[in-house]
Amino acid sequence: MTGTVSSGIDEIDLQPGSHVCAFYRGDSDRDRLLTGYLGAGLTAGDKCICVVDSAYTAKRLELLPRTCGGPGPFDGQLDIHLPESTYLAGGEFTTSDMLTFWTESMVKAEIEGFTFCRLVGEMTWALRDAPGVEHLVGYESELNRVTSSYPVIVLCLYDLDLFSGEVVVNIVKTHPQVLVQGILVENPYYVGPDEFLRSAHA
Amino acid sequence: MTAEQTAPSGVAAMTTMPTRPDEAADANLRERLGEFRALLVISLLMTESVDEDQILELAASSAPGLGPWRIDGYGFTDGSWRPGIDDGTPIPSDLAGQLVSLGNGAGIVELPGRGWAWAFPLRSVSGLLGHLVASCEREPSAEERFLIQVIAQQTGVAVSNARLHARERATAAELAVTNAALAETVTNLQRSMDIHERLTRVAVSGEGQPGIAKALHELTGMPVAIEDRYGNLSAWAGRGKPDPYPKESFAKREHLLRRLMRDSKPVRDGERLILLASPRPDVIGVLALVDPQRRADNADLVALEHGATVLSMELARLRGIADTELRLRRDLVHDLLAGTDDESAQARAEALDYDLRRPHRVVVIEGKGRSRAHDDLLSAVRRAMRQVRQAGLFETWSGNVAVVTAGQTDWEKLRRLIVSDLGGGQCHIGVGGSCARPSELPRSLREAGLALRLQKTLLPGSNACEYPKLGIFRMLAAIPDLTDVDKFVREWLGSLLDYDARRKAELVRTLTQYLEHGGNYEATAAELSVHKSTLKYRLQRIRDLTGLELNNPDVHFNLQLATRAWGTLQALRDER
Repeated sequence: MTGTVSSGIDEIDLQPGSHVCAFYRGDSDRDRLLTGYLGAGLTAGDKCICVVDSAYTAKRLELLPRTCGGPGPFDGQLDIHLPESTYLAGGEFTTSDMLTFWTESMVKAEIEGFTFCRLVGEMTWALRDAPGVEHLVGYESELNRVTSSYPVIVLCLYDLDLFSGEVVVNIVKTHPQVLVQGILVENPYYVGPDEFLRSAHA
Repeated sequence: MTAEQTAPSGVAAMTTMPTRPDEAADANLRERLGEFRALLVISLLMTESVDEDQILELAASSAPGLGPWRIDGYGFTDGSWRPGIDDGTPIPSDLAGQLVSLGNGAGIVELPGRGWAWAFPLRSVSGLLGHLVASCEREPSAEERFLIQVIAQQTGVAVSNARLHARERATAAELAVTNAALAETVTNLQRSMDIHERLTRVAVSGEGQPGIAKALHELTGMPVAIEDRYGNLSAWAGRGKPDPYPKESFAKREHLLRRLMRDSKPVRDGERLILLASPRPDVIGVLALVDPQRRADNADLVALEHGATVLSMELARLRGIADTELRLRRDLVHDLLAGTDDESAQARAEALDYDLRRPHRVVVIEGKGRSRAHDDLLSAVRRAMRQVRQAGLFETWSGNVAVVTAGQTDWEKLRRLIVSDLGGGQCHIGVGGSCARPSELPRSLREAGLALRLQKTLLPGSNACEYPKLGIFRMLAAIPDLTDVDKFVREWLGSLLDYDARRKAELVRTLTQYLEHGGNYEATAAELSVHKSTLKYRLQRIRDLTGLELNNPDVHFNLQLATRAWGTLQALRDER
């Protein structure tokens, strides 16, 4: 796929392969981002895969395909997961397992006939007291490499009421694009995955 | 969890691998530029926030991601201190003084245990808000200090915006309260106008007291009662009308009325809210809202007060009509007693819905109750006439009350009822002869007056005297020329009359009562209110002065005729 796709959020268009970190405040702001982003994907016929932090949110998102009036097939179009089966599967977070999860999901979508994927993850799990959560920023950096080679856009959601300013700073420094207050902030000077890994392994 | 959550250590712990100088410079530049991007995002978040604590928290928590320095806290111009980190480090007591001495500028401050500490001004468009105090183990580089300066500047702007927003919110809230109060006032005014309009419509439509009760019920949703001054129900609207309608005791009612007169506002009396409607002291109505749940609000009270005003107008109107009718009746009675033609008298009577074509007579009533007001006697006579089921036209006449009536009743019973109504005292009644035509009523009045005077002076034991039953008195009064009668009286009583005039004695009266009581000493003495020996002395005096033997039948007859003639003459002279 060439050209931009609609993010479904605040009339922002994204290039395929984009990995955007979005900052929001509170559940209602999160729901606005989720429904806009996934709604646009469902309408466009994209495969939508999301990881949300609570079963309650997952239940509500299950109703989303019925509310979209677009031409998409919808059946099997939206996969909803919880952190326990994704980020924290096996009781700990590992970057490689999670990247594998995303990669396999995208390959599976391609096999199912989808030509484009939308991934979204609610990152609140990273605040839990679980092994490996300290690798969050490294994971975000490494994810850039995966997304750049697939017809996909990725949205990582950070609640500003829960994450500190330090996390915000570090996420911005390692991401090419950050969505904040309806503005897509480009960072051409972000620390790329290779550089990050060099730094991390130094 | 709060923003104190620390970042995963990946980026914060980044170190630089051994590289060539060009690569190192390039990496350093990229890192600085990345920090500026991050700072831009932090600034965006702070500027969008309207929560001052949130802004200060975000600035302080972002510092570790931007460099090796930290934000120790914020000192504001009002002297307050807000910590940036919470590591238990005590704030130096002299820090506030240090900040004051810096004025609007930035400068070094002393913080124990910290290699370097600076205070950067938090500026807003309206002036200095305070200082951001940052510290580091070592002296930061120029780029790092620039970042601190920028974040201080952005924090100041964001805090200023937040405070402005808070003020606007407070103003908006105040405005909302004012608007709500205004809306309530408008609503109340509207309801007040509705009340005014509804009740004014009732007042001008002539719907009377039932209309007033109905309107007030519709306006308040509560049952409404209108009562007269005695507690009798005049009108009711709404559910639950008591049957029979309860009536409180006279004393309790009077107490309530006094309370209503004193307070001049709605008064709660058990389950009812009541208000007096009294256009003048002698006209009283009571308006009551039945409100057992005590849910009446201000608007209901306004409706009650306005209803009482309309009721006052209605009562005044009704009393005005009654007064006018009463005045017309009195004028008619006055003309009938003074003498008028039959045709006009009957026409005026018909206008008052009174049938004057039947034979009528005049009754004159003299009364002295505890209250001497003629109106009281007039009212007492009216009520007594109602009680004996007699209709009539009433008027005060020469201090007495004259009644023109077609009825014939037990006049003594009427007299007793009047005395009872007056609460004791005296009452005399004189009844004139019947007249076929209204123009004859002055004659009946004269007869009634004569009967009244005669029974007072000559007819003891009878306080109601009918002229047609006066016998010899009526014959004597009917004689046109009384000269011979007068001569006859002088012939038999002349010596006694002269003695009485000379000595201011009562020998003629004594003789009169002695003869009228058939020579009974005890009854005569009682009538004259003298001792029996005094009576005997007076009778002996009479015998001596007249030289007559009282027991002689012929003498007795002539003396009785003479005393009755004397009484008749006296009564006729009084009339003239």
